[in-house]
Amino acid sequence: MDLLDFAIYVAPPLVVAIFLFGVGYRIGRYIFFWRRKPSALRRQRPLLKLFIGLIKTFLDPLIQGFKYRKGDFLGGLVALHILGVIPLIFLLGQHVAMFSYWIPFYLALRPLAIPSSITSSSLTALANVVPSSDMSWTFVNTVWGPLTVILNGDLLAILAIIGVSYKIGDKIVRLVHKLGNARIGDWYALVLLLAILVSGFMATHHLPSGETGTYRTVLGIHILLAELLVATLPFTKFWHFVFGYWYGKLHEWYDLKYNRGAL
Amino acid sequence: MSWEEFKPESFKSAETYTLKHLDAVMLHFFEDCVNCGLCEVNCPYTAAGEEYGPVEKAEPLRRIYRPHAQILPKLFPWLFGANSPKSKEELDKWVEKAYRCTNCGLCYVTCPFGIHSGEMIKVLRSYLARTGRIPTLLKMMIDTEASNTLLENEGLRKVWEGMIDRIKAEGVEFNKKNTKYLYLTSLAEVMMTPGSVLGAVKFFKKLNLDWTMPDKPLSMRAPIGSLAGDDEATTIVARRIHEYIKEINPEYVVLSDGGYPYTFFRFDLPRIVGEKPSYKVIHIVELVGEALREGRLKFKNAEEKVTWHSPCKMGRIGGLIDEPVEVLSKVSSNLVKLKSHGVFSKCCGGGGSIACIVPPTQQVMEKVMGVSIPITGSEKVFLDKLYRDMLVAGKAKVDEIRESGASTVVTACIGCFHTMGMTTQAFGVNVKLKMLSEFLAENLE
Repeated sequence: MDLLDFAIYVAPPLVVAIFLFGVGYRIGRYIFFWRRKPSALRRQRPLLKLFIGLIKTFLDPLIQGFKYRKGDFLGGLVALHILGVIPLIFLLGQHVAMFSYWIPFYLALRPLAIPSSITSSSLTALANVVPSSDMSWTFVNTVWGPLTVILNGDLLAILAIIGVSYKIGDKIVRLVHKLGNARIGDWYALVLLLAILVSGFMATHHLPSGETGTYRTVLGIHILLAELLVATLPFTKFWHFVFGYWYGKLHEWYDLKYNRGAL
Repeated sequence: MSWEEFKPESFKSAETYTLKHLDAVMLHFFEDCVNCGLCEVNCPYTAAGEEYGPVEKAEPLRRIYRPHAQILPKLFPWLFGANSPKSKEELDKWVEKAYRCTNCGLCYVTCPFGIHSGEMIKVLRSYLARTGRIPTLLKMMIDTEASNTLLENEGLRKVWEGMIDRIKAEGVEFNKKNTKYLYLTSLAEVMMTPGSVLGAVKFFKKLNLDWTMPDKPLSMRAPIGSLAGDDEATTIVARRIHEYIKEINPEYVVLSDGGYPYTFFRFDLPRIVGEKPSYKVIHIVELVGEALREGRLKFKNAEEKVTWHSPCKMGRIGGLIDEPVEVLSKVSSNLVKLKSHGVFSKCCGGGGSIACIVPPTQQVMEKVMGVSIPITGSEKVFLDKLYRDMLVAGKAKVDEIRESGASTVVTACIGCFHTMGMTTQAFGVNVKLKMLSEFLAENLE
């Protein structure tokens, strides 16, 4: 059994178990810490305004970032999140295939799958070349069409690597400035993410060599690191994606807009 | 305990005290920060130093919470940033951070995760207060207010009674039970912005309302302990005020101070006294707005170019963002909104007790109270720097005022009024500052 076999056939149940335990632990803490307190009379506001307020609650930080912190907006939000990890994790063709193996209904996203290479765009838009098998075809002939010039694993991975490197750079600057908000958790999350992205990119391109054993090792490392991320997700800042972001903004909306009427 | 001391033995009880605040919402504030630093862009104090960004200022509280609320920091405190202050200098640094926050809520609406760093910093202040770091003037006010001895000081009594005599002349019946409206003012409002109180009284008379008010100050402002995280003092004063209101039994409690008293009485009081109030708390602008809609009020048209500074506690945190503007637009056809008007309205820089403890205010208070406030050398250094930083923090608002071209700035928070008095003067912006009820009353038809 090599690393890849271990990552694919041994680790997943353990990873899912730790992840679910972590989710239960984190959510459980919120329930445990919840205190019922008498609350003030809420301010009445029209439903439509409250709904618009809800949308704005989620959009406002993006707008503020764009206005006042363009580097962070481009590096941290656009490159790392919007064009980087989110489409890569959920829509990269290989990932759609992998998720579909574990969760059959994920197959519904297959039409949206993003191919790994920029040459896929020439396959779909410019050249009349039919892939050698249906399997690859389904992950190449996506709805994105010519957009695969941008929406391909190579470019998105590079953007994500640039984004995560930007964030690491930002943390280094903060350390140099002797600021306290460069925590151990930041380094863990950013370095792990960078390692996942780089190893994924390397595996896709059969780097550092085309030899099968090396390929299996690199891909095994990539999958194992991703599994480490999933297993530790509830205990790290990655939790923001599953819970922190959604709960935080909904709570803010409920507190400021729904209760107090700050619209 | 004094400002000069460093007593590690006080940390344990201070930690225990701050842990009482760790409920589900505080847990979210504490744990769900990803350290992106976006909160820094709107915090008024980031301009005074990058170490004053909200995430930086909330970090000491996280250091206090980590070993109690998380497993790994308990095992490896040195690795996860979990510690009490190790030296007097570190404690002083924590104090410096805690008092560079107006709790204006700008970080709250800016944060991609809805984390209210200001609320964390408020809890940090309560920790610091228990380690002996609480500004002397603030401590004096808290103690005097909690012991209900505000009027024992001759200077303060003169200020209050002077106002009461003027209001008496208007034929008000004080402490009248079962009136529809109870007007709640404070000693600070009477002292700093008497026009605001007289303006409110003029409205009650003009609208011929069934109203009353206390003949003694129930508090310095709202329970001032809430600014320093002194829950005991806050609860004592809040309960006393709540009991008084219940005794009067009004339908509405009306405030003209739109600073933290508005948020405190309107939203925080039920949680603090532990019961739902039988009365509604409103700001006078709501009363005026209603009267305008019903055609019971008319205003002359004010000639000057007017702008509205939205106090954070009344607007962003209190929900009254457009109501004052709607009312003011009926008074002045020359009303101009400030650039940041709305949920992201810039903070004046002096909230959260800052403007009421800086040296110029100390001097005013010493003069009024006829006492010398005993400040140690370290505290004086701290306050002098705080004043300089407050001016820097307030500059963005002053710039907006300058850009607006307004000759009159109307606001409804006595803290904002006082702060902008200092900041506009410091940056050479010559504007008239008016409290909302005062400005509206002046322009009544």
